[in-house]
Amino acid sequence: MSEASRRSERPDAHVRSGGVQSAGVDASFLDITTITVDPAYVQAAARRAVGAAPGRGVGSTIALVVVVAMVGLLLVVAARQTLAGAPSAGRARQALADEARRRTARSDEMQVRAAALRDEVDAARDERLRATSAGRALAERLDRLELAVGSVVVRGPGVQVTLRDAPDVPGEEDLAGEGTVRDRDLQEVVNALWAAGAEAIAVNGQRLSALTAIREAGEAVLVDYRPISPPYVISAVGDPDAVEPAFVDSPTAAAFRTLADLYGVGFSVRRRDAMTLPAAGTRLRYARVPA
Amino acid sequence: MIPALALAVGVVLGLLVQPSVPVALQPYLPIAVVAALDAVFGGVRALLDGIFDDRVFVVSFVSNALVAAVMVFAGDQLGVGGQLSTAVIVVLGIRIFGNLAAIRRHLFRA
Repeated sequence: MSEASRRSERPDAHVRSGGVQSAGVDASFLDITTITVDPAYVQAAARRAVGAAPGRGVGSTIALVVVVAMVGLLLVVAARQTLAGAPSAGRARQALADEARRRTARSDEMQVRAAALRDEVDAARDERLRATSAGRALAERLDRLELAVGSVVVRGPGVQVTLRDAPDVPGEEDLAGEGTVRDRDLQEVVNALWAAGAEAIAVNGQRLSALTAIREAGEAVLVDYRPISPPYVISAVGDPDAVEPAFVDSPTAAAFRTLADLYGVGFSVRRRDAMTLPAAGTRLRYARVPA
Repeated sequence: MIPALALAVGVVLGLLVQPSVPVALQPYLPIAVVAALDAVFGGVRALLDGIFDDRVFVVSFVSNALVAAVMVFAGDQLGVGGQLSTAVIVVLGIRIFGNLAAIRRHLFRA
């Protein structure tokens, strides 16, 4: 006899959803879904009714207390676990951001230290070279070369170009990023400044050497693989009387004036009497002077 | 009365001690909660039916929790832990619903 037909002979068990009448029936899956009261309760009640089972002992009361306390404990632990788990994704992101900030700070520190050590080495080398006349000639040549490749701090007059992202217009989202200054904007300004006769350039304090790349990762502009943020200040050392007019007349400057008018991108050029640009950390690992 | 106090003791204990669940046991936590709720609502229902029994409640709670844990553990070993967890929760969930319906009928006569 199939389960279904057996059930149909006993419809009351179904309808009453497992009342006392269904005590002692076999527990199949269908019973679990329809007979919700634990048959054990019914059996225990029946045993008590005929006096076959002892009444409530102290032991079973203690067990009950322990179990109910465990239920409470379990619920609290589960609730705490759930609450603790919910913001874990946010915490992970925060931890990563903190880590990135920490590493950037450490990298800054080490760059400062590298610059100080480089100065020390240069000073020691100069001291030794100046002892002989051949050494003095070599030292002068070295100074010129270092200045040219950007591996020493330079100081001089020049111009400063400042680029800013367009301010956010309320209620208008700049989906196309037309008001945002990108890596190629900085590249164009830098190239125009070189073309205008600049002798040394730094972007937000990052000196440009022949090996420096200006590029973008995500939304951040990287100069020499270090992230910089707006406003972007491009400092160019050179003859201000030559560099400034040449840059202002360049097609690049004209293009940025248009961008400023159309999208509100910040663009300004200023003369500076004296600027100090840091050294670039140029280091060649493979290139060698041919023997 | 005594069970209510015991429940309060358990909750306070949990809040004070703040036990942390080992990572290996964390998959069993939701199962344990559902099994506990099933036993609790079964007990309340039996209480309202007038057939509550300490021993049955204790045994049903412990065996519910154990069977559920063993099923999930076995499922994990067989690579079907998620599905078996779902099965346990569905079955116990149905019973919880049924018992809650019975409790509701007792309390509100509707």
